[in-house]
Amino acid sequence: MHASRSWRVTLQAAFLFVFVGISAHAQDSEIRIGAVLPVTGKESKIGGAYKAATELAVKEVNDAGGLLVHGKKMKVDLRLLDDTSDAAKSAQLVEQLIVQQKVHAVIGGYGSQLVQAQSVVPERYGIPFISGGAGASSIYGRSKWVFGTLSPVENLAGTQMDFLLDLVKQRKLKAPLKISLLRENTEHGKDFQKGVRDFVNAHPKQFSIVLDESFELYAPDFRPLLMRVEAAKGDLFMCDAHLEDYIAMHRTYTQMGLYHQMVTYGARGADEAGRKALGAATDYIFASGWWSDLLPYPQVKAFNAKWKAATGNNPQWYHACAYETVRALFAAIQKAGSLQPDAIRNALARLELKDSILPGGVLKFSKTGEATLPFVVTQNKPEGKLDLVWPKAAKTGEPVAPIPR
Amino acid sequence: MQQLVSVTLSSLLAAGLYATMAYGLAVIYGVMRIINLAHAGFMMLGAYVTFTLFSRFSIDPFIGLVIVGPLFFFFGVVLYRAVGKSMARSGATPSIESLLLLFGVWLVLQNLAYVIWTGDTQSILTWYTMKSIEIFGVHVGVPSVFVFLASAASLIFLNVLLKRTYLGKAIRAVTQNRDAALLSGVDADRISATAFGLGTAFAGIAGGMLSTLMAFTPDFGRSFLLKSFCIIVLGGMESVTGVALGALVLAVLENVLGAYTPVPTSLQDAVSFALLFVALVAFPQGLPALFTRFERKAIR
Repeated sequence: MHASRSWRVTLQAAFLFVFVGISAHAQDSEIRIGAVLPVTGKESKIGGAYKAATELAVKEVNDAGGLLVHGKKMKVDLRLLDDTSDAAKSAQLVEQLIVQQKVHAVIGGYGSQLVQAQSVVPERYGIPFISGGAGASSIYGRSKWVFGTLSPVENLAGTQMDFLLDLVKQRKLKAPLKISLLRENTEHGKDFQKGVRDFVNAHPKQFSIVLDESFELYAPDFRPLLMRVEAAKGDLFMCDAHLEDYIAMHRTYTQMGLYHQMVTYGARGADEAGRKALGAATDYIFASGWWSDLLPYPQVKAFNAKWKAATGNNPQWYHACAYETVRALFAAIQKAGSLQPDAIRNALARLELKDSILPGGVLKFSKTGEATLPFVVTQNKPEGKLDLVWPKAAKTGEPVAPIPR
Repeated sequence: MQQLVSVTLSSLLAAGLYATMAYGLAVIYGVMRIINLAHAGFMMLGAYVTFTLFSRFSIDPFIGLVIVGPLFFFFGVVLYRAVGKSMARSGATPSIESLLLLFGVWLVLQNLAYVIWTGDTQSILTWYTMKSIEIFGVHVGVPSVFVFLASAASLIFLNVLLKRTYLGKAIRAVTQNRDAALLSGVDADRISATAFGLGTAFAGIAGGMLSTLMAFTPDFGRSFLLKSFCIIVLGGMESVTGVALGALVLAVLENVLGAYTPVPTSLQDAVSFALLFVALVAFPQGLPALFTRFERKAIR
């Protein structure tokens, strides 16, 4: 009697297992990928660009028949939601995608603040999460499920310092050099400051910091701050700022007649909007970026052509980073050959995307989940020209240093 | 000496900018006892309209203000006629309904701007944008000087309007006592609509002027709202001269702290908050009332 009951339970369990297995298999006829991006709201400009690049990468894969999973080609069903640039809503939508829409992986948004909010959700449900739009280090290393294709902002500052040190070695700049360091009061700004400080501490003979100040976002008047910069008498002006603050600050900088041997606003400088707003005052500003369409790799040239054919425009760094984020996720899914979250996560952790369009040509993730790729350095030249000046192997023009008065 | 000149000039220019931001808020609060949360939205819209006039019709931003002012006055009056009845009347404390309503208007304006102009960062670059003039050996930006002059002109215009015209007297009567003004035959509702239009016009003009100094997106104006509140509290809420005075005090404090103390400039907003707190506790009627009190004591 007892034995027959246990048999019955075993049979029921087996039936349930087979039934669930079949239904799960039936559900998994396609790969459900969730994405939460700021398509509207204050981050909509780049959020919209991320959407376009994500959709292009998905379309390419689907046009080719899909991804190879469980030994068969499966199409990708992209479920893209707009968080309206609202951090709370962003996290809520990631949860909705995981819980209600049962996505197999999530593509994170753009902007460290938004991705920071999103990044706590995947840990709760054990779902792989990859973002191509957040460089703040504090996002990574807290959850094994979170990955990011933007190199840390600290590395951005480090690359700029490498570039400046090289200019010293070339005797274009004369050491010791005094740095006036400004940064926005955000995670991004703090990482930039740390990158510069660490480098200066390691090279005390070449560099010193004579002013280290922060400022609030969208400050109405930068004159008091720039008066301090003037009084500090630095040789180099290094600032990390959002586009709006870069424009307002550099207008005041120019009007006050300030001069430094080299000027940077972190990742800002090459932006079309900045050059339109500041005109010739942006000449010789150097900037670091996660990508440049001037990179001499064949895969970059192919991507440039593909993007131009699809949209009619030249790609920007955010298009490339978003596109490459999706490619990294798809490569991991194919490598895993499974839609199990653990398998995808482990494949991402071990991924080595060797034909990457990002600087260095190989995309892989560190133990914290962050990609640690080199940055590029560009310098604005007169008449709207832009040169890639770092890394040396990829440069399209000679850096001009010091800036002509 | 050079630094003193630089601090003085910077303070004056910043005061001009801050006063411009706050006039509209003060006019509306004075007459209607409404804290206009849509003020930042009107400023943002003013920046975009000025930008459109410049980019589409090549109208210089400062000349464009001649169009922006009347346009926003009309817009303010229409808005008041549409939703103003739901707002609190003068004499009452600001109602939560009016706050929510105007906050809603701000959100609508913001989203409208996203639809029309997208979220791209916009800016205006004229022939004089990057130019500066030298005053006592200190370089000051030409657009900042224009903003200061426009702010001074606004102060004169508002003072003449409020003190020398029948409309101004009626506005002041409604400001002081709405019921008494009604009993004296003043059409308080029409005056409120005019005041709301005037406040909206000045917010639009402020936005237009700010667009010559900085870049903007539909989110523009948010950070200026708090400074504007601080200035009108300092200025005594109802007086435009008080607003100019409040703006000057705030600007001097920020610039002196920046130049002569090691206080980080990132604490500029904290200075505004601290000043707001001190003003509300120590002299809630604003600086003009404080000066009057001192004057009376001195006479005694």
